[in-house]
This record gives sequence, C-alpha cells and structure tokens, in this order.
Amino acid sequence: MAAWTCRFLLYRGARVLAGRTGAVAAADSCLFQSVRTVKTTTWWEEHLTEDNKSYMRKSLGEEYNRQIAAKLHPLKDEPWPRQEWTKESRRVGLVAVKLGMAPVWTKTGERHVVTMLQVQDCHVLNYLSKEEYDGHTAALMVGGKNASPFYKSDEEMEMFRLAGVPPKQKVTTFKVSDNAIIKPGTPLYAAHFRPGQYVDVTAKTIGKGFQGVMKRYGFKGQPAFVGKSIHLNKYDPAKVFKGKKMPGMMGNVFDTAHGLKVWRVNTRYNVIYVHGSVPGHKNCLLKVRDTNLPTYVEKNINPPFPTFFCEEDEQLPEDLYDEDLFIHTQPSLTL
Amino acid sequence: MAACTRRLDKVMFSIRLLRNIQQKNERFLSTSMRRLDEGSDGGKPTKFTPPPKPVIIDKTQSEASLRKFLSPEFIPPRQRINPLKFAIERKDMIQRRKVLNIPEFYVGSVLAVTMADPHASGKTNRFMGICIQRGGHGLGATFVLRNIIDGQGVEICYEMYSPRLQQLEVLKLEKRLDNNLMYLRDALPEYSTVNLDMKPVPHSVTGDVPVNKTRVRMRPKPWSKRWERPKYNVQGIRFDLCLSPEKLEHAQKWAEPWREYDMLKEYDTTALEERFLKEVQTEMSKSTCP
Repeated sequence: MAAWTCRFLLYRGARVLAGRTGAVAAADSCLFQSVRTVKTTTWWEEHLTEDNKSYMRKSLGEEYNRQIAAKLHPLKDEPWPRQEWTKESRRVGLVAVKLGMAPVWTKTGERHVVTMLQVQDCHVLNYLSKEEYDGHTAALMVGGKNASPFYKSDEEMEMFRLAGVPPKQKVTTFKVSDNAIIKPGTPLYAAHFRPGQYVDVTAKTIGKGFQGVMKRYGFKGQPAFVGKSIHLNKYDPAKVFKGKKMPGMMGNVFDTAHGLKVWRVNTRYNVIYVHGSVPGHKNCLLKVRDTNLPTYVEKNINPPFPTFFCEEDEQLPEDLYDEDLFIHTQPSLTL
Repeated sequence: MAACTRRLDKVMFSIRLLRNIQQKNERFLSTSMRRLDEGSDGGKPTKFTPPPKPVIIDKTQSEASLRKFLSPEFIPPRQRINPLKFAIERKDMIQRRKVLNIPEFYVGSVLAVTMADPHASGKTNRFMGICIQRGGHGLGATFVLRNIIDGQGVEICYEMYSPRLQQLEVLKLEKRLDNNLMYLRDALPEYSTVNLDMKPVPHSVTGDVPVNKTRVRMRPKPWSKRWERPKYNVQGIRFDLCLSPEKLEHAQKWAEPWREYDMLKEYDTTALEERFLKEVQTEMSKSTCP
C-alpha cells in the first residue's frame, strides 16, 4: 500500500511542479520514468554506506574461505559409513564449468577433440532419502561454483546454511543408490572420474531465439524457382497432429550428450577432458554423471566409491592420462 | 732536410736493432731460466701438461641482442574464455616444444617438414615449401606449406603440435610484405616453386629478419579471391601489370575506412606477449625433468 501511495505522490508531485516552472519539467520526466515497479524488496546495497558495502564484500570472501577450509577434511568429520561398489550401485555426479575445447592425439596418431570441464567448488548440499524423493531411489543434491548470497532468498540460503557451505550458482539432484550416499558438506573433486570412464553431460543449450523450421528441424525448404507443381502435392489430413514441427523458440533447453569418454584428469586444477563436444556455451555450468548407456557399463567398473577423498594416503599425480593418449613429454611418434 | 731525415732513419734503425736484440736476449734468458728451473727439480723430465683450454665467452651475442620472438599461437584470441584454459594449454605446448624443436619462422619462409607416415617407405615423408599461412591458437596451431611438384601445386596444412611431426627445419628465414600469401595460388608458378634440393641458408639470430620485397606477377583473371579489394590488404602483388587504374579505383569502393577507428576491434597484446615470452623462455631453459 505504501508503495502504491509512493507512485501516486510522484504523479501528483510531477503535475504540481509542472505547473510552477517549465525548467523543472525535464527533471519531472526523469522522475516519472524511474518509477519503481518492483514494490516489495530492496537490493542489498540500497541503504548501505560505501564503507558498509566494502566491509560486507570482504567479510563474505573471508567467510567463504573459512567454510571451504572447514570442509577440506571430510574423512575426519565423522563421515557416513563408506561401502563397497557393486554393479547395481549408482554414484553421485559433479557440477562443472565448460572451459573450452582443445585437440588431443592418441598413440596411433589419430586426432580427437576434447572439451575441458573444470570442477569449481563442488559440494554435496543435501541428502533426500527414498521416501522424501520419489519413493524409489535416494537422491543427493549437489551444488557447484560459489555465488553471492545477497541475491538469494532465505529459503534458498537455508540449505546452504545447513550444509555449512557457501551458496552455489547451480544446484542439481542426482539419483543415487543407498550405498553411495555422502554426508552433506563433502567437497567433490575432478578425480571422482578417472580416464577411461564414460560420462553423460547435461547442460542448457545455447539459445537461438525464434527460429524457422529449416534451422530448427533441418527441413529442406522449397525450390528456388517456380517449376512444376509437384512440390505442392502434399498429404492433407485436415487436422494438425500433436508435435507437428513448426517454427518456434530454439535452444535454451536442457540437453544431454551421452557416452563421452574421459581422456584425461588434471587433479591440480580439477579439470576433466571429455571427448567431443558438449551442449552449452563457454563458462556455462554442466551436470556430469556416469553413463547410463549399456555399451559402456564395463568401462565404468571400480570407480572411486562413493567419491574421491583428497586426504587419503594415495597421492594422485598432477595429471592422469588414458592409456591410449599421447602425452606431450613422450618423443614424437614413429608409426 | 734530407740529411736530417736520413740521420733520423739511421737512428730509428739502430734503436729498432737494439730493441730486437734486447727482446731476443730476454727470450733467451726466459727460456734458459725455465730450463734452469727444470734442472733444479731433480733431473727428471716433467710430464707434458697441455695448456688449459681457453674459455670462449661469446660477447657478440648478449641476451639483449638476441631477437625476441614469441610464436603467434601463444597469444590468445580476444574471447571470453577463462585464462586458466590457455595456461593449461601453454604448459602442454611448452612440454611438446622441449621434445620437438619448433624453430622461429614467418609467413614467406621456406620450411622442410619430416612427418611419420605408416604408408611411406622408411615410415617418414619429407615435404618442403613456402609457408603461406599460420593459423589457429594454442595446441591446434597450423601452418600451410606450398610447393609446385611436377607442375602440380601442392599445399599441405601441418599441425605444429601433432606428435607425427618429427623434424622441422627452416631452410630460409625471411618475411614477406604480407601476413598471408594465399594469393600465390593465382600467381605465376615460379613464385611458389621451391627447389627440392635446396640447401639451408644460414640466418643470424640477432637483428631484424630480412624482408623479401618481391611483388608477385599474377595469372590472368579470374582469381580465387578478388585480391585487389582493400579487405585483403595485399601489398605483394604487381597490380599495375594485371589491372587497369579504373578497376583498381572500382575496387576501392569496398574500402571500409572507418574500421581503423573501430574501438571494439582494438586488441593490445604487448603486455600479454611480454608475459608469455618470459614464461616460455624460463620454462624452456629448465632442463627436461626425468
């Protein structure tokens, strides 16, 4: 109500002022155009002084670092009991950022292209039991890439607060078998996937806007010149079938690339090199999980289960390569 | 006057004689002194110790005078890509450069490339030609070599970081008037032929790279591209021999003089170049890790 009155007063004020002088008319039109239409919330820095703003930002960064440092040793913080991997178990996935693409060569000299996915600040946020989720499988909510808490609502922040973790840009759910559950707050690293495994990557495709049927569905169009009327001979059902391919919005939907081989894992920068291309633009957030495809089931046996824990005794080398991959420190190939 | 000079000459001559005699005596004395010393050691002849090898300090080529060259594929394009991706790629590129020597070369230089080929006799094939184009960034950097073999023009695009490349030698290091010599496809064949028995021409590591200012004569039109148009900015073609002034003026209609003032196209790479050059040089000077 107060907000409505605010708008009214502005209108009234503008008219009153316009009556007085013409010089003020320009200022009035500015006021009129900058009428607030979002009536309920203020943004976080609206009523803060410069000092307060900089203090908030600094303290935020420090709190993030403290939270992440507190979660660096999940094996010491009473982790949930770890169980053995079985063929029917499904483990959690990761949230990664698409960095870009690069060429890669095998030991036989074949060239392939890989997409580099970086795992930035990936934490397990929440555990939903079978009954809470859908009645069939348990689920784990995972978030990736830290974000600012100032633009998140209290309901969203509650989950991050319970897990003791900075708020994340992307939160996804992974269906998980009961022996693969992880305590919320555990960090997830790129070494969760090993070279030679196969993954599925899901992301929102690049939006192309309203597109015609040639780009959207690959229709072949019509002949460039008017010839015989054979192209007008069409089947006429006298109705429009459901799912008829017509022009419309293209892209900006979730799409999955299945069965992508992991060629290389960099444990220092947490980068996964995945075969081929992946939906989404550069620096977009993706959901990476083990493949569902039956052909690659035997490639994904004995993975780090339930996930890779950093502080275990086995120290991984900086780069893990697939056995077929040509490493650049080796001498040139003699085929 | 003549008498004075004559006397002076005699005096100079005698002085020189005396000096010579003195020097000879000194030499005699010095050798005899040594011999006396040897005798005093005990009569045994000492073993011949060769003189220490002279240390040659090459002061002609100080680090400051060496030509600074950063291969263009190290410079990232102007895109919204995380610099971490380029840093990781650069590490791989430097590792490959430690194994295979990728020399400094420019568009217009003559190179010979040996590549592994399972179907060739000896399992390698060697191709040499003029570099007409250098493209790509990072690990996917490429260069195109052109040559005319048995009257047939051949262009091969090599990937610089491919593991199949075994040797890259620069036979002639030089630059041309343009950065892209694709117009050699429409030029007379003599400008694209490189003799297969060519011997490497020695080039200096300091100073500027020699610029070959040849302007090429073209075959009659039609060409593969309209090289006279200002967007290609070709300096190395003799347009006066193949096109009339009216046609050249007509080509200027496609000029876009506002492009040099386009601020969005400005990309200053000097700071990046310096940083990457320093990084590459320090990494290359470190020995290969075991």
